[in-house]
Amino acid sequence: MGNKQTIFTPEQLDAYQDCTFFTRKEILRLFYRYRDLAPQLVPLDYTGKPDVTLPYELIGSMPELKDNPFRQRIAEVFSEGGDGNMTLDDFLDMFSVLSEMAPRDLKAYYAFKIYDFNNDDYICKSDLEKTVNKLTRNELTPEEVSLVCEKVIYEADADNDGKLSLEDFQHMIIRAPDFL
Amino acid sequence: GFSEKKLVGNLASMSTSERIKAIQKMPENMKKKREIRNKVLKEITKKSRHRGTRLPWCTQCLQEAVVSFRRFGNSLSEYFHLLWFWHKTLKIIGAEFGTSVLSYFIFLKWLLTFNIFSFLINFGFIAIPQFFAGEPNNLSFTGLELITGAGYFQQTVLYYGFYTNATISKPENGPPYNMQLAYIFTVGIYFVICFLILSFSTAKSFCRNFINPHTYSGNASKLLCTWDFNITNEKAVKLKQKSLSTQIKEDLAEVNQEVLNFSITERVVRGVIHLVSWVASVGTAVVACAGVYFLSVNNLELFMKGHKNDLESQAAMLVLPFVTSLLNALIPSFYSWLGHLERFQNPGQQIYVTIVRNVILKISIIGILCYYWLNVVAASDSECWETLVGQDVYRFVLVGFIFSLLGSLFGEFLRRIIGSRVCVSLGLPEFDIGRNVLDLIYAQTLTWIGILFSPLLPAIQMISFSIMFYVKKVSLMMNCQPPRKVWRTAQMTTSFMFLLFFPSLVGALCVIGVTVWRLKPSEQCGPFRGLPSMYAVVSEWVKILENYTAAKWVVWIYHNLITSELFFFILSALVLILTYLYWQIIEGRKTVTKLLRKQIIN
Repeated sequence: MGNKQTIFTPEQLDAYQDCTFFTRKEILRLFYRYRDLAPQLVPLDYTGKPDVTLPYELIGSMPELKDNPFRQRIAEVFSEGGDGNMTLDDFLDMFSVLSEMAPRDLKAYYAFKIYDFNNDDYICKSDLEKTVNKLTRNELTPEEVSLVCEKVIYEADADNDGKLSLEDFQHMIIRAPDFL
Repeated sequence: GFSEKKLVGNLASMSTSERIKAIQKMPENMKKKREIRNKVLKEITKKSRHRGTRLPWCTQCLQEAVVSFRRFGNSLSEYFHLLWFWHKTLKIIGAEFGTSVLSYFIFLKWLLTFNIFSFLINFGFIAIPQFFAGEPNNLSFTGLELITGAGYFQQTVLYYGFYTNATISKPENGPPYNMQLAYIFTVGIYFVICFLILSFSTAKSFCRNFINPHTYSGNASKLLCTWDFNITNEKAVKLKQKSLSTQIKEDLAEVNQEVLNFSITERVVRGVIHLVSWVASVGTAVVACAGVYFLSVNNLELFMKGHKNDLESQAAMLVLPFVTSLLNALIPSFYSWLGHLERFQNPGQQIYVTIVRNVILKISIIGILCYYWLNVVAASDSECWETLVGQDVYRFVLVGFIFSLLGSLFGEFLRRIIGSRVCVSLGLPEFDIGRNVLDLIYAQTLTWIGILFSPLLPAIQMISFSIMFYVKKVSLMMNCQPPRKVWRTAQMTTSFMFLLFFPSLVGALCVIGVTVWRLKPSEQCGPFRGLPSMYAVVSEWVKILENYTAAKWVVWIYHNLITSELFFFILSALVLILTYLYWQIIEGRKTVTKLLRKQIIN
């Protein structure tokens, strides 16, 4: 495997290497994974910057994501239009943040966006309820869910506005060493 | 806008690697990052063209050199992935079973690197020179030596007794190589490095994972921060979800139970049950130690009486390690059963209490063995007591390894067969992380104790750990289910690292210290024969150095720092004062945090 790949121009590869946590080989490997999802849609030549978007159903069927209860939110957060359909840029972005080389505060930032279902930059009670239901597979009764959400907001809300802002969330993450 | 210009300006003024890191860390999407990167690069070329009149080629060349070096480093690291051995296996284990089980395997890999390092320096600095000065081995090799460590192996570089005390100077006209100094300094420097690495890792881990422990038990972090995004296995995900919902339900129920006060009789009964269990566990440990002691003294008598090399006496030598490993395997199961009997307030307490009891058991057994080795064997009139101790440690390590494998076989494989065919209500077994990690720490402690007496013991441990990795992994994949309980991985990892540091390494250092300073080496074998103590080599060497003016500073350090009590007294006082100061600073900061919090709310 030498320098003779024709998928990207050298400038494109350099840009990818500078903007993600991946090396050249990993970027190419991820490109092939992206292409394998829909070989007929994704061209082998990206030097012309083609505008190819894969629908969410294909992304959500990847083995890394298919059992994750938050896969839809993850795809929505990282996709350009917020609808789960991803270009190659979004795809690389997503895996870069989810990889083990990404620092914790970056992951915390994106985790906040994933848990923020209504995209209002705050995790309010309804966002939390949806999160709890996804995490427990709808096994709790609505009263229990509501109680848990109230407790969470009570504990983590520092400025007492009834919802969690990004700072509250990051503050909580710093003190939780198990956050992955 | 304006803030973007400021950002671009900031990035342009950083060094290349800092800039790349800053761009990577930006929480924007790829398009935005590329735009900013292009703007920054344009800005840089503009600046360099500006400055270009002053330093035409210097900075430009340097920049390009740095960039191409980084690309080269990246591509090189891709090839060095081969050295990240087991990286893919660890990822698969983490995906199927979660981070808690993964932490065991990472711990195992970490211990393996300690042994690899020890083996490399021992082999390079002690064993290889010995090959030049070795005497031929007249004993015959029967296969049994692999298990008993005696026989043919006695006259090889495996044991202390084989090493010469001379100064080797082969090839002729080569520099003289003082085997005595090499032996003691290699072992000493290895332990100093281990000590430093372990203490820094433990401190760093402690810092990261134990700040504000009371805020961790809050519901917020339990909900939002404990989901293990590493898991990709469907069954594991379902199990995690179920356990999280069970935990939340338990927490909600506990809120009501806190109101419930236990009556006096209930509390007394609980206290009595706890007391009885503690007495039972400590009593079992004491009985086990007494048994080991009597067996070991008996062992020595048997060995001294009949010096034959036949099958019977070889087998008799294996009885002591066999019984010890058996006790080490059965008594922890007894402790787990006791833990189930006592009804603890929460499962975390149960785990901690069981681990503490196991640690007490293992420490006492190793303590008794060290007492036996250093007081009984060293004082006996055998020809070469260090080699005897080395052989004993070799047998212990080997039998312990075999018992670990058998433990996997019985604990997991048979249990799965029982759980899936015979008694389905039991279910599949879970991987017992605590017990396996304690076994690893026990094996590593024995290795550290044995390094002085058997320099190539880490090689044996290397092989045993590698085999254990594969066996445990296969057993895990085939037999176990993902863990159901929430296991606080980060805190547990810190506790295990601390256990490795404090009773394990420090204990081994004490044993080595006592051996080097107080015990008289045997007269007829080994690099320190005839000397009053192993340490005497160093003091004699310093006396020789006094005659060389170039090395006066070494002599000065030795007399005023290493052997002077005043220096250690001052050092300890300084450490205590610094600790107290840091503690006060932390308390002060906690108060400030509380005050600031109140201000935010109001």
